[in-house]
Amino acid sequence: MLKVTGLTKRFGDITAVNDISFQVGEGEVFGLLGENGAGKTTTLRLLATMLKPTLGTASLGGYDLIKEPEKVRRKIGILFGGESGLYDRLTAAENITYFGELNNMSKSEVNERIKYLTKAFGMEEYINRKAGKFSKGMKQKVAFARSIVHDPDIMLLDEPTSGLDVSAIRNVHDFIQTCRNDGKTIIFSSHTMSEVEKLCDRIGIIHKGSLVTTGTIDEIIKEFNGDSLEEIFVKMVGDKNEF
Amino acid sequence: MSFKHVWIVFKKEVKDIARDKKTILTNLLVPIILMPLIFFIMGGSFKRLGEDINENVTVALSSNSNTREIIQLVQEKIFADYPNIKLNGVVEDPIQAIRNNEVRFVIDVEENFAESLKQELPYTITILFDHSDTKSSGSYEIIAQAVNKYRDSIIRQRLESKNIDLSLLEPVKVVLNNAADEKTGGNFMIMMMLPMLISVLIAVAGIPAATDLVAGEKERATLEPLLTTQAGRMSILLGKYFTVTLFSIVGVIAQFIGVLIGFATSPDFLNMGGEASSQMSFYFPPLAMFLVILITISMGMVFAGLQLAVSTYAKSFKEAQTYLSFFILIAMVPAYATMMLQPSDIELYMFFVPLLNAIASLKMVLGNVINYTYLEIALATSFIYVAISLLFAASLFKKEKVLFRS
Repeated sequence: MLKVTGLTKRFGDITAVNDISFQVGEGEVFGLLGENGAGKTTTLRLLATMLKPTLGTASLGGYDLIKEPEKVRRKIGILFGGESGLYDRLTAAENITYFGELNNMSKSEVNERIKYLTKAFGMEEYINRKAGKFSKGMKQKVAFARSIVHDPDIMLLDEPTSGLDVSAIRNVHDFIQTCRNDGKTIIFSSHTMSEVEKLCDRIGIIHKGSLVTTGTIDEIIKEFNGDSLEEIFVKMVGDKNEF
Repeated sequence: MSFKHVWIVFKKEVKDIARDKKTILTNLLVPIILMPLIFFIMGGSFKRLGEDINENVTVALSSNSNTREIIQLVQEKIFADYPNIKLNGVVEDPIQAIRNNEVRFVIDVEENFAESLKQELPYTITILFDHSDTKSSGSYEIIAQAVNKYRDSIIRQRLESKNIDLSLLEPVKVVLNNAADEKTGGNFMIMMMLPMLISVLIAVAGIPAATDLVAGEKERATLEPLLTTQAGRMSILLGKYFTVTLFSIVGVIAQFIGVLIGFATSPDFLNMGGEASSQMSFYFPPLAMFLVILITISMGMVFAGLQLAVSTYAKSFKEAQTYLSFFILIAMVPAYATMMLQPSDIELYMFFVPLLNAIASLKMVLGNVINYTYLEIALATSFIYVAISLLFAASLFKKEKVLFRS
């Protein structure tokens, strides 16, 4: 479903992402674990076609990232950062419709999908109200609905719980579970061990742009002979930092 | 690029901005209310100033002229036909009296004027006034007219007593005829103000929209999801570009309506407090009008492209606001530099310079001195500038380094 091959991104002299390769299967949640500035956001921006790779490529849903970026965009949904990023002067429905239409959905398709998502996320009370006055939780649900309005096969989630309170984090976790149950391929970046352990089927540890290791949590613990993922992560990152 | 996506982005942006009370207030309501208010206040003060200049001409005599004969001369002969000229006694220090605004003029008449008059010899009347004072210099014409009239009456009397034909005094008769086209009527104030206002506005009216549409989206974290939709970057940019252009034009139209209401409700502003002109009518040939509207809209599109480019480059809303505020200065330079420019003084090179070409075209059409070749040059150069500014905005919008500068 998603195959990354030798993906590299350089900004001048700085190599933000260095020759990373991994695969994620259908219905799988892949956690990209790394410190701030490790290259997680750049990797996800590359996969979302926002940035062009310097070297390497990726295949998303059978489409090549470099050759068919528009087709790739048809396959992906994104949720970047803890902030929901809505248009405050538009209603929740208008926010979702805008993204549905830009993803080439017809009016009737968008309306049907909004009906479904409104029910799925319990947004009946405020779907036709302007987003500016929503609580954080309400905004979050609209952002979730917006990201999957076109029913993408692949979800790219870049630190979606950053800066959120406990109940908002719970909402994000539930959303990821829903996407997984719907058979979506998910890449989820985070620097929080507990949520990676809770949600991900497999993880990849990224440090200074390079993918240090990939595997299930058990495989990684076994491979690096540690007691916990956190211990191994600190050891890896710490060791590398010493260089 | 997809026109469908351009239209979707445009529709959404227009709806979004139209719901922003601040933008509507500053772009639409303020010009419509503020311009008539400015005209009303300025028109009122022009009128009051005009009335004061004409009706309150205060004069004093110098202490040397404080004689019965001189007072009689001034009151009964020089100012007799001028009830608006008021003789306010005698002052010891004429300069101080004028500087203190006690009187506008101090008149000094030669002491032995009666003797000179009898002997048909010249004598001097000195008028002291403050040329730097608007009221004093404004009223001078009235005083000068009264004194000249008195002088002419003496000349006439002397010539008549010598049986000399008065027509000798007027060897040449000067007849003044107005060559201006009656249809244009015209008004200096309109020709001076409209091009200046329109050119400044066309350059700045789109700033709130441009700031919001890229830098604002970056700050609200809505740009990234937008870039991952199936709409290409050029479609997104064009949708935003047409929105900024629309709001630039709407801003100009609102200001124009405000100016028209202002002119209609406060004609004193146009006449600078003078007599109302009955010739206030304009005629614009439809083709020239059409061309000048196209040139103005094109100029709006040039600025929309540049503003979006700056908004794309800015890391934040505030940074965009700071950079875009310079557009006001950029627009003001040619606008003010050409404020007093007459249609007949317009030169060919002006039609090649951005913004200046719109100002020159507007002045030409308002003054009804129309050269269609010049208008076509202005239109062609405007289209070139539109393409350049749009390409510039597109190149920045596609550049990762710029778009994700933060």
